[in-house]
Amino acid sequence: MQQFIYTVKDENGLHARPAGLLTQCAKACSSDIRILKGEKSADAKRLFSVMALGVAVQDEITFQIEGPDEEADCAKLKAFCEENL
Amino acid sequence: MLHLFNKQILIGSPVNGKVVDLNEVNDPVFSGRTLGDGCAVIPQGNRICSPCNGKIVQIIDTNHAFCILSDDGLEILVHIGLDTVKLKGTGFKRLKEEGMPVKMGEPVMEVDLSYLREQKKEIITPIVITNMEKVSSLKIAKGTTDSSGIIMKVKLK
Repeated sequence: MQQFIYTVKDENGLHARPAGLLTQCAKACSSDIRILKGEKSADAKRLFSVMALGVAVQDEITFQIEGPDEEADCAKLKAFCEENL
Repeated sequence: MLHLFNKQILIGSPVNGKVVDLNEVNDPVFSGRTLGDGCAVIPQGNRICSPCNGKIVQIIDTNHAFCILSDDGLEILVHIGLDTVKLKGTGFKRLKEEGMPVKMGEPVMEVDLSYLREQKKEIITPIVITNMEKVSSLKIAKGTTDSSGIIMKVKLK
């Protein structure tokens, strides 16, 4: 399993637009991807699940990526976060 | 009982107004179907209602959007206006809270459309099914609608 922590910089947090772009990026990955925020956990491929985390600016979220392509998928998600969140 | 399969699900308008294609929404996240497929309503009323029977699973902190899980398992996002996250809640008033069951046509949010216009925000309100993997077909009823008038007919896989 690959894992990384990201601190959200978008001042509006993970609202519909960034959450939608994130799920789109996650859906393009073959790995299973979980996003953790505190006690809560979400399926990164499901918009409702991601939005329900209620991620705000400066929140730390943890990505857990598991599957045969986890290294490539992890790199893809990291790059996405840096660019969009 | 063949008709039990591929049951047709009716989605009601959250508000009276004009129903248009998602392509007409001036935001690629909606028109490009990034969030899912559906349609949009240009509202004429100020009470935004649930488009189906179900449960309010989330109201975004800034009150500009809410998520309904329908009794049939559809996840429907109602996003009031475009770029309205930036209003930080001003112009919106909750009429319901997260976790509450709702019926189609039951008001969830009150919106001050003239405030949105003053703030140069488009009032067009996309209604998007975010779990399209459950949907086999989607028909949109364009044109003028009443609140809870049927705007989409959905068949499940």
